[in-house]
Amino acid sequence: MSAVATQAPSGRGRRSSPMTWRWSDRLVLVAAWSAGILLCLIAGAIVLYMGYRGVQYLRPALIFSRPQPSTSQAGSGGFLDPLLGTILLTVIGVLVALPLALASAVWVVEYGQGGRGRQTLARVVESTIEIVAGTPDIVIAIFGLAIFQLSLLAPFSFRAEGGGVFGRSFIAAGAMMSLLALPPLYAATRDGLQAVPGHMREAAFALGKTRITTIRRVLIPRVRSNIATGTTLGISRIIGSTAIVLILLGSTLRIETQGSLPVVNLLRGTGSSLTSYVYENSPAGEGAAPQKAYAAAFVLLIFVLALNVIVDRIGRAHASASGLTAVGAVV
Amino acid sequence: MHRIRRLSVAFAVAGVAGVAAPALASATSLVTISGATSSYPLVALLAAKYTKLHPHKVRFKIAQGGTTVGLNDVKDGSVTIADVAQEPTSADAGLDFYPIAKYAICVVTNKSNTISNLTQAQVTAIFTGKDTSWSQIPGATASGPIEVFTRTSVAGVLTSFKSLLLEGKSVVKSATEEATEGQLRQALESAPSGIGFLSNYQADKGTLNPVEFNGVACNKDTAASGQYAGVSVFFEVTKGPATGGAAKFIDWVDKSGAAKKIIASQWVPIG
Amino acid sequence: MALERLRKPWPDHRAERTLGAVSLLVGVAVLAMIGFVLAGAWPIFQHNGLRWLLGGGDFESEVARMNAAAVHPSAADYQLRAWPLIYGTLLTTAIAVVLGILIAVLASVFIVELAPVRVSKVVIPVVRLLASVPSVIYGLIGILVLVPFIGNHLITEHEKRSVQNVVQLTGAGLLPTAMVLTIMITPIMIALICEALSAVPSAWREGAVALGLNPLRAVRAVTLRAIRPAIVAAAVLATARALGEAVMIQMISGGKTFAPYPSSGWVFIFEPLRTLASGILDYREGVGSPPLKAAVYSFALLLLFSALALSVGGYMVKLPLRKYQTR
Repeated sequence: MSAVATQAPSGRGRRSSPMTWRWSDRLVLVAAWSAGILLCLIAGAIVLYMGYRGVQYLRPALIFSRPQPSTSQAGSGGFLDPLLGTILLTVIGVLVALPLALASAVWVVEYGQGGRGRQTLARVVESTIEIVAGTPDIVIAIFGLAIFQLSLLAPFSFRAEGGGVFGRSFIAAGAMMSLLALPPLYAATRDGLQAVPGHMREAAFALGKTRITTIRRVLIPRVRSNIATGTTLGISRIIGSTAIVLILLGSTLRIETQGSLPVVNLLRGTGSSLTSYVYENSPAGEGAAPQKAYAAAFVLLIFVLALNVIVDRIGRAHASASGLTAVGAVV
Repeated sequence: MHRIRRLSVAFAVAGVAGVAAPALASATSLVTISGATSSYPLVALLAAKYTKLHPHKVRFKIAQGGTTVGLNDVKDGSVTIADVAQEPTSADAGLDFYPIAKYAICVVTNKSNTISNLTQAQVTAIFTGKDTSWSQIPGATASGPIEVFTRTSVAGVLTSFKSLLLEGKSVVKSATEEATEGQLRQALESAPSGIGFLSNYQADKGTLNPVEFNGVACNKDTAASGQYAGVSVFFEVTKGPATGGAAKFIDWVDKSGAAKKIIASQWVPIG
Repeated sequence: MALERLRKPWPDHRAERTLGAVSLLVGVAVLAMIGFVLAGAWPIFQHNGLRWLLGGGDFESEVARMNAAAVHPSAADYQLRAWPLIYGTLLTTAIAVVLGILIAVLASVFIVELAPVRVSKVVIPVVRLLASVPSVIYGLIGILVLVPFIGNHLITEHEKRSVQNVVQLTGAGLLPTAMVLTIMITPIMIALICEALSAVPSAWREGAVALGLNPLRAVRAVTLRAIRPAIVAAAVLATARALGEAVMIQMISGGKTFAPYPSSGWVFIFEPLRTLASGILDYREGVGSPPLKAAVYSFALLLLFSALALSVGGYMVKLPLRKYQTR
């Protein structure tokens, strides 16, 4: 009785020795190992180097003190204003993107299925959001400049003496940031809604609810975690964007309000963000303060890390969030 | 029904008040400035001091971009004042130039290159690309090919440098162009065989080697005494005569003691 | 009152129309984007025809002229020959994407198939973190670590002298740009391809092994072919990101409009360059001058059309691969 059950060489079990393979396979094996080791080395180097520099240069005083114009680096303060600027931009971007993304996802999944005309429109909506996803940041920034420098939109920034519209303000940058956050939010919500089993909707209809009430009371609460994931991905994209800030935020060291209405003046004002602060303090900008650049970059990395962890947690808590990696929600 | 009507009336009143309030409130005028990167540190300090001494009168928004960008902006009305680091030309008709300080243009090398003096002939030969190696320059402690750093075409310091220290010639085409003074300084700090030109404020920071020109050292004292050849002027430029908040600011810069103290710290006062 | 009507639950048809209108707002925004950028770039087409895509002019003096002629620009002030920027964009993108796909596929095979489980568990979150690192941080490391290293230790005096009459080698240029761009776009591709690899049913691979293939061959023959749509999607995503990368490239590419051709020998990897996106950033403050503003918009137009073409192209390449149905 042959009780020997030879285990098939698959996965991580016993495998055939590479010495018996063809040379092309051995080459690929070596190449794959090299690529993997190279990846680990570079990833480790980047993370460790930024961590080392960050710990070396980050002081709590930097986070909580405002930047000052000064002739020396010692007096030039910290990066509180850029930090607040990043937060403000994120809030504006998400607030504008959320209704757009939710409305589009809900419409495409719930209303866009019946009939030829509707399906084409749904395809159109999906394609436009994909186009927005694939547009480079800098083109979105130039588009923002084109719109907000129109006379019509002068109230969103300010008008200079000779009649030219400045066109750069928190609301201008925030509105364009919303285009960055829109695709991940849309994709996450759409995937979540599609994953809701049909019988939930049918049960609600059987109870006499209209479609819109079903959406409001049953479906949206159910895809809360998807919306949270999408929002986190969107926030991650917003805080990492530098091009839009450099072109649309007016590059003032501190947050400068514009006008005198309490909240509106902040929206119309100019400022900077953590990313533009890192840029300006590097040799590519003015500041010649690499220490401050490293410190701000470290804070930025901590934010990104925290957002990634949040996405992971939400993803694990709701295992049905299929196909949502830190980056893949767009494809 | 009543509640809604009352609420909407309340909102309307608040809205009207909110819009009217700024009209009744302070007359803070906004002064926008753009232009030279070389005078930016000075103008930023002056604006900060002015805001501290005369709060709620004027608000400043200072950008940079280079002298030509500032001139273009003030010509088409996008800014109130342009910071300019070069003398007015015929293309600037209709603009009013108000001088606020003088500055010296220094030829600088990397700190490791301790060459102490360059004659006019040497400076011209180096920057126009005729001399390409440090071995051709006696007194230089750098070796190898000369790396020339210059500014982009919008720079006022470049225009002044060409007319004052380069005999009107142009810098060699292969030179590396930097957009701002800060970037030029940083580029020189990391290029051992580099040479370039900076305003004395940037050159005096101790991180570079300022070179004497025709035997005269480059600092604010030799600039004040008239010994140093490469002295140019920072101007505040407006379209037509300055008015309103801009006029008050320029007047304060011209007359007040606090402004003179700031100017004298690193630059040369006018007159 | 109208407010009462708004507060009652809406009938379906009104909700549908409102939601549909909001959804189409995005479409309106895209159309507006194309329209505005086209309108802004129109003067360049008007004065140059399509010749502005070619080379032969002196880009830097053309820009200087545009800056000087801000107030009453004449037709000649609009002259532009932007080929060096287009070439720079194509060169950096091509190098980064080709190298990136190669490394991404190999590294993904390593992570999913070859690496010990403990290593994979650490590497995958790190790859996801790298994929979301802002580009300004890559630029920071590039300009503070990579560029000085290349400038001081890799470029020899002989090489500097050999190109001295044309351009100066300072360490910033093609080599650091291509390296950092590759490092920037590879994690995204790795994340996507790893996910696709894990989604392939293991039965497919085991069947191949049962037929006598060694494990790695099985992966090559079966799994990699099955995830071709994912590889295409990853490549398209990475190309889009590489094309539009402005900040990082502007920081480490040397800031000189120059087209490094391989015909100058190996030294071409040290030569500086400029891309369309980094050019937009470089000249962003000059948009007060109408000719320069039109030039900047024309660069943006090229980038926009490339992004559109990529979306369409990626979709069309994936169509025949639909039958595999893994992603």
